[in-house]
Amino acid sequence: MVQAAVPTVKEQNIWGGGRSPYNVSYGKMMIWFFLLSDALTFGALLISYGTKRFFSTVWPDANQVFKSFPFMGESNLPLLFVSLMTFILIMSSVTMVLAVHAGHYGDKKNVIKWLLWTIVGGFAFLSCQAWEWSHLYGECGGLWGAFTNLSGAEFIQFFDPKNAHVHSVLTNHPMEGLEASHQFFNFFFTITGFHGAHVTSGVIFNIMILINTVNGTYEKRGHYEMVEKVGLYWHFVDLVWVFVFTCFYLL
Amino acid sequence: MSSHNQHNVSVQELYEGDQSKLYSGVMQHHTDVKSAESKAQVKKIWNIFWILLAITIVEVMMGMFVSHSLPKGVVNFFLLLLTVLKAGFIVSVFMHLGDEIKGFILTVLIPLVLFVWFIIAFLADGNFWLHMNQTTPARPHIEQVQNS
Repeated sequence: MVQAAVPTVKEQNIWGGGRSPYNVSYGKMMIWFFLLSDALTFGALLISYGTKRFFSTVWPDANQVFKSFPFMGESNLPLLFVSLMTFILIMSSVTMVLAVHAGHYGDKKNVIKWLLWTIVGGFAFLSCQAWEWSHLYGECGGLWGAFTNLSGAEFIQFFDPKNAHVHSVLTNHPMEGLEASHQFFNFFFTITGFHGAHVTSGVIFNIMILINTVNGTYEKRGHYEMVEKVGLYWHFVDLVWVFVFTCFYLL
Repeated sequence: MSSHNQHNVSVQELYEGDQSKLYSGVMQHHTDVKSAESKAQVKKIWNIFWILLAITIVEVMMGMFVSHSLPKGVVNFFLLLLTVLKAGFIVSVFMHLGDEIKGFILTVLIPLVLFVWFIIAFLADGNFWLHMNQTTPARPHIEQVQNS
């Protein structure tokens, strides 16, 4: 009975129905296609961000925008907080893949353990994002569309102070700096917000499958494929963050 | 552990009912989570974690210390290379795409080739408009109106 899953269908009928030529179940294939479409959505957002950036003479410097850390006051710690957020998300991806692994072996206790850690990681990431957003809300004086007129010109703090070219553009054409800040933060809040919404729904799915696992639903069903499917979604969220991290904080 | 009471179910029945049982490995023998095979898989997962962590640290170091001293193009090339490498590890190992059959891998990856066109076309367009604005008097004119 070891290889009972191999159906006795003639080779030429491989695409003729009655079997899965790709050897994946319907649900798993469809989550892959959903993730593909979601990748195109995130890609479109990130590429339009890139287009606006290429369109601009100057652009805010990530080392100036993202240099704060909770409870550290005014100390200059560029990229440190977002590195912590990235670490949390990679870690939760590992705990998720360990839950999927335990599911493959029908090991209920470990599925519960690793799903719990994944949920903890998800909440930790969302808390970090909430702090970052509220911090930037204070810095910008708003979220979307906070940079609409030149009076005050607080946006200068977001640009590289040592770059002579940037300095001359901001002095002679301050509108360019205003426009760049406007674009940068609008895209930042839209894209990280959309990503955060994905993390939130991922945490909800994780809680749902945790409840089902505890109730023994998957044990009765005979397999933990649902954990695998939610796992694919959760890894995708991590994958998107890899690109958001590069586009907003590094490039 | 009690996932092996399904052996008397016929394959035909599974096609009509819960298909996922066919491909979830439940028909194969994954019994012992403490087996050498299982341990090797867990070890691989942690190895990938350390690789991802190392790549992230290198990226952050580049962002902090070399992004303002080396030419922007060189730094960006390496950052994008590392990002794609990270994405590759996540997709092939964590999402187990590497374990699927070749036809399915290609079905998922080929549509992503669209991004190559997408990125080149849109970034070139952004660049073109920047050039337009700098060589036509429209923009300084708008600024004068705003400033007055």
